[in-house]
Amino acid sequence: MRARIAGHALALVATVFLGGLFSATLVRLAPGFDVDEQQLDPHLNAESVQALRAARRQEHNIFQFYFSYMNRAAHGDLGTSLALGQPVRTLLRDRAPLTLRLLAVGLGLGWVAALTLALTAAWLRLSAYDLLTTLVSGTFLCIPAAVLALLSVLWNVPGSLAIALIVFPRIYRYARNLLAKSYSLPHIITARAKGLGEARILFWHVLPGVAPQLLAVAGVSVSMAVGAVIPVEALCGLAGVGQLAWQAALARDLPLLVNITILVTLVTLLANSGADVIGHMVRAQES
Amino acid sequence: MSGRHKMRGQMSKTCWKSIAVGVICVASLSAHVAAQAGGELKFCLRMEPKTFDPLKVEDEASAAIRYLTGGVLVRVNRQTQELEPELAQSWNISKDGRQITFRLRSGISFSDGTPFAAEDVAYTVQQLMDPALHSATGDAFRSGTGNVESKVISPTQISITFPAPVAGLDRLFDQVAILSERSPKKETAVLGPFIVADYKPGATVLLKRNPNYWKTDGQGRKLPYLDSIRLDIQPNRDVEMLRFKRGELDLINSLDSEYFDKLAATSPQLVHDAGPSLDSEQLWFNEVAKAPIPRYKKNWFRSANFRRAISEAINREDLSRIVFHGHAQPALGPFSPANKFWFNSNLQPQTYSPDAALKALQTDGFRLENGVLKDKDRNEVVFSIVTNAGSKPRERMAVLIQDDLQKIGIHVNVVTLDFPSLIERMTQSFDYEAIILGLTNVDLDPNGEMNVWLSSSENHQWNPQQKVPETSWEAEIDRLMRAQAASTDPRRRKEAFDRVQEIVAEEQPFIFLINKNALSAVSTAVHGAAPVILSPQTFWNADRLTVAAK
Repeated sequence: MRARIAGHALALVATVFLGGLFSATLVRLAPGFDVDEQQLDPHLNAESVQALRAARRQEHNIFQFYFSYMNRAAHGDLGTSLALGQPVRTLLRDRAPLTLRLLAVGLGLGWVAALTLALTAAWLRLSAYDLLTTLVSGTFLCIPAAVLALLSVLWNVPGSLAIALIVFPRIYRYARNLLAKSYSLPHIITARAKGLGEARILFWHVLPGVAPQLLAVAGVSVSMAVGAVIPVEALCGLAGVGQLAWQAALARDLPLLVNITILVTLVTLLANSGADVIGHMVRAQES
Repeated sequence: MSGRHKMRGQMSKTCWKSIAVGVICVASLSAHVAAQAGGELKFCLRMEPKTFDPLKVEDEASAAIRYLTGGVLVRVNRQTQELEPELAQSWNISKDGRQITFRLRSGISFSDGTPFAAEDVAYTVQQLMDPALHSATGDAFRSGTGNVESKVISPTQISITFPAPVAGLDRLFDQVAILSERSPKKETAVLGPFIVADYKPGATVLLKRNPNYWKTDGQGRKLPYLDSIRLDIQPNRDVEMLRFKRGELDLINSLDSEYFDKLAATSPQLVHDAGPSLDSEQLWFNEVAKAPIPRYKKNWFRSANFRRAISEAINREDLSRIVFHGHAQPALGPFSPANKFWFNSNLQPQTYSPDAALKALQTDGFRLENGVLKDKDRNEVVFSIVTNAGSKPRERMAVLIQDDLQKIGIHVNVVTLDFPSLIERMTQSFDYEAIILGLTNVDLDPNGEMNVWLSSSENHQWNPQQKVPETSWEAEIDRLMRAQAASTDPRRRKEAFDRVQEIVAEEQPFIFLINKNALSAVSTAVHGAAPVILSPQTFWNADRLTVAAK
């Protein structure tokens, strides 16, 4: 077990740094990296324009940037945003709570909706109900995240509901198939035939069986929600990390983008690794 | 009898009318007084303010906060375009245009209670002119090499001497918010009507009434009337519009014509069209000698005849009507007619005539063959117009121009790029053929555009950083721009800049397309708003605005 956790931790650290380096390289190679919109200000004289360009050129060499970034990060300094002129650490600290709240509520609502529909579909085993829930989830699956975000703005509903509607169909389809398969197992059918209570069947026989797979989906759903947070925050005008990521990408803000990429990679990997480790523990307990 | 009765009836009617008018007046007065009791004005900033330091302002959001919080020596009245005294009671400029002397008001304090004196002005100027600051506001004052010297004559009098004459010197102080030398709060101690009370990054900036603001209204009541202003940071215009419709916002500045019409259809009392703004939209060709484009194309773009023909083939009325729903005027030159003093009223509107354009091109050896225009070396006339992605009006203008030029056999490809990529092509790689972009004029004075018109400048977009002017007309523009900048005589300056406008109209380095109208929306709850064309359109008189309780 320890070896597994250590392996996960190592892979996590390596992936986080590789992700950061890769994103920095991509941003550096993107056209328009070393220009600043401000240089078009006709009031600025030649010296000021040159100073602006020089400031951008500091991040010209990607390896040099990454070396100095890691050096500063080791001392707790994540750099300063080029576009917003504020310390990245402050920006992330100020905006992270809103994003975390959005993710937590969105994921919570998405999971509750998906499990409720999946369980009732598995219990009832009515083809009409199954068709209806599949239709609902399929509809939401087809609607792009940006459209759901715009609808939430239009109808003045919280952005977390948009996140919930983005993750719900993906969880639902997987959970429904898992539960349906589980309810059709011989020992469950026998238990039902013997008149065992539905709650007891669910909590003692069904859920323990599907828990490792559902945990794996939980990890993946965090990644999905993190991905959805960017369009939702950008379109709903929510001042979270997602909106910051969007602004940073548009402004080619290297320090900000590298840190956000590392943060997102970290959250995603932690969620997946956590789900993996817990799933392994559940399986070990079962066996 | 009947006459008397009629008269009595008329008197009775008049009496009732008088009573009704009286009741309405009393009601409106009490409503106005109630509104003046306080209130919060709410509107959006479209980007995060980069700084609260008024000397480092470079973006629109920071400029809005500076306008609302900063106290200035003189202020350009956004309605009359005249310069008015603020912290300075009076001022005079020396004959050589190098020195300005201000006589300041006394008994004024910063928001934290620190008294305001001439030393604060000297301190502000010293900070502003620090070369390491690279401030756009400071750079506007740099007309020559050397130091700027401030001399405090008395607590209420100061003279500032520049190394070379600065044209329009007094008007430049409209952008200089005075800092306190002695206040421990430095740039957060202000002399304007509001103070920054709270800032939630990415969400809101809350401004509160400055308790020490020095101005009073005609009745001696302290200004500002408002208790606070809530500025929500909202980059998404759709969301801004929705929130305005829901009554969550009181103002929208620089409204898109599309939104304007939608709002006008349902609530015409909320929208305001102040007429042509100072902003222009223009098309220009790449005339940079080292640009990575074929030589024959460079020859086309460097031909004034070619540029004039393209200009003549563009239907500006259509651009205004279709793209801006009629809320724009065909542009005549660098300054729109909205710039009352500097606009050259002798400029003639560009006529739309594809036939005349084709004839002009034929004099340069171009020939129309099977609907395709070819140059004298039989190269097909094809070029691309680049503009910034996400700007619907520019994308639509490019498409209409593509259609117009097709009529004279020119094939245009429309390319949209995100802004950083576009700037890189425009300023570094010069890898483009033609660009459509806009020029946002904040200044009324042509000196604000000095770096656009001087051939040696970085912002001389069609062919920047020329060591020596590559054409005689650019040399002439350089001479005229320098002459007007060195003169303190408004009449001579006007003559010089009029000639610049004429040369630009003749040579068309920028093919000016349209001047957008200044569109805005103001809630009926806001009293005292009078939207204008100058920035900030709707809240230029924020200290006298009131918001009625909803």
